[in-house]
Amino acid sequence: MINTAHRIEFFPEKCVGCQLCYKACFVDVIRWDPEAKKPVFKYVSDCEHCFCCQAVCRKDAIRVIPDYSSEHLLQSFERYA
Amino acid sequence: MSFEKKSLNCDILVAGGGIGGLSFAVSIKERMPETDVLVIEKQTAGYSGKANKGGGVLQYFDPEKVQPIDFLKLHVKEIGCYLGDQDMMLRYVAMNKEMIDKLSEWGVSIPRDENGRYRVMPTGPMTAMIRADLDITVQVRRRAEKLGVRFMDKTALSDLLTDGGRIAGAAAFSIIDGTFYVIQAKAVVLATGSQNYRIGSMWSSGRGDGIAAAYRAGAEMRNAEFGNFAQLAKVKSHHEVVFGENNMYNAQGEFITRNFRKTRETDISSTAIREWYVQMKSGKGPIHLEFGEGHPGPGASALQDRLRDQSYGQRFREFNESSAAEVDTDLEVCPLFIGEQSPVCVGHDMQTTVAGLYAIGDCSYCGSGAPGAVPAPPGRNRGSGILNAVFAALVCAESIADSGLSDGAKVDMAQAEACRERLFAPLERNEGTSAKEVIALVQKAMAPVEQSVFMSKDRMELAMQYIKKARELSGKMKAEDLHDLLSCHEAEAMVLSAEMHFFASDIRKESRGWFLREDYPDMDNENWLKWIIVKNVNGEMTYTTRDIPIEKWPVRP
Repeated sequence: MINTAHRIEFFPEKCVGCQLCYKACFVDVIRWDPEAKKPVFKYVSDCEHCFCCQAVCRKDAIRVIPDYSSEHLLQSFERYA
Repeated sequence: MSFEKKSLNCDILVAGGGIGGLSFAVSIKERMPETDVLVIEKQTAGYSGKANKGGGVLQYFDPEKVQPIDFLKLHVKEIGCYLGDQDMMLRYVAMNKEMIDKLSEWGVSIPRDENGRYRVMPTGPMTAMIRADLDITVQVRRRAEKLGVRFMDKTALSDLLTDGGRIAGAAAFSIIDGTFYVIQAKAVVLATGSQNYRIGSMWSSGRGDGIAAAYRAGAEMRNAEFGNFAQLAKVKSHHEVVFGENNMYNAQGEFITRNFRKTRETDISSTAIREWYVQMKSGKGPIHLEFGEGHPGPGASALQDRLRDQSYGQRFREFNESSAAEVDTDLEVCPLFIGEQSPVCVGHDMQTTVAGLYAIGDCSYCGSGAPGAVPAPPGRNRGSGILNAVFAALVCAESIADSGLSDGAKVDMAQAEACRERLFAPLERNEGTSAKEVIALVQKAMAPVEQSVFMSKDRMELAMQYIKKARELSGKMKAEDLHDLLSCHEAEAMVLSAEMHFFASDIRKESRGWFLREDYPDMDNENWLKWIIVKNVNGEMTYTTRDIPIEKWPVRP
């Protein structure tokens, strides 16, 4: 997917700085701030709503809120009757 | 912008930290403990690839009930349609228990019964599955680290470096600080996955950059026209409905599955995708699924229910399902184009046509010739995705251990510098096209299934117009930062893969297995029992055909 409008809610007070969300993101949406020891959700328009970051976070510090209407499967419905 | 340059050395460089690359790294260290193995991964090895996002199932053959030749006959006739390398398929089936035992030994959680035997879920007369939790790749990475494998995460393969037709190493770059690495290696193993064009969410790690690097280095490609996998997904949430093709209905309430399927088949076929298109075009859409009493097949629900005891994967599944349920008010479906192009041509030793360069997993599934006329796993063969990667990894490690490593090739620094300049060019431009504009054009060519799955000459020509424009713009891409530079690098690979797909599809004038053409609807064993080999010759995409050596194999038309 490109140019998606999914949102990611982050609750920094719950985060323990384990880096698992940063490691789990396979599309480079999440970068790491080594000084703050917290994730930075830097490229959210590349999010694939995979929920990997949320699933690995055992402190429930992340919530992914998909906007499915922003994803496009590109099947050409308009060409059909 | 200027970035640091560093030179590195290793014996074997592995590009890609998914299940294929990790399994190879462990296996080669078990066989050759003193070998210096370096894994580079553009995100994080152990969390990348697709094995940790898929079904979490491994294909299982009960050796007391299924002989390799029996499954081979089924596969060759119904799935591979005589285009597969039967030696390799036999070997894959024969190694089934060895592969599962290896994963278990490496720390992967595989449920067992009270007698210590694997818990087996039968899925058909010859096939069964066993579960593997979705932390499978994390566990194999841990094993690799214990054996002394070195890892560099957030480091993307840029190009392969050759010396007189032999691999000498690779160029790579850090997506965090831009450091450009020139890595000298005696062998390079590509485990960079397939090409999925960033359309399907869970498949999005497959962006074809390893395929493109191999192509640029002069490696041959085989079966590039079989990179067009698709399956049904809900229109609102885009969540895939595995086995949904058994329950398709049109807007008039007609059960349309019967138009393309008379008996239960192993998995989705391209004929289901064709049926969706034909119904929609004739005004009988939208298409929806119906389950429950009076409707055929429970779909995948029984299988899904049995996956719920995966301790690691359960949260991942629950978040996906509950989120989708909020928008899925009906069961309208359409095809989700997935791709899975995997064309890097390898021999029985997993070596490409560039000496010292190997390719395993979804990078070379179709290129190995093993599966025949079907895209990469699941390739109408559920549970084979992870095991195909493990299979290729074990075969590759064995062949390198048997043949030894050659250390004659040296990196040509001028070649590496040319790669560096080409790689970083999008960061140097003051203006240009964005990577996403290029990717959007590729997606417009590949995603509509009447262009890429149920093909015809005129519809392929329409698709090629988008690719032509994408190619023109890909030479003028501008990157804002290193994340964007990686997107440019991947966009270039997507253009190449799409071009190869239509180039080879136009040549194959028949329909065979997954490959469907409206203008050539029949399988043509007289003229097309052949592989199409695509190769870069001095910058031009060229092809030859190679006859299938069907006379030496047990199953024939």
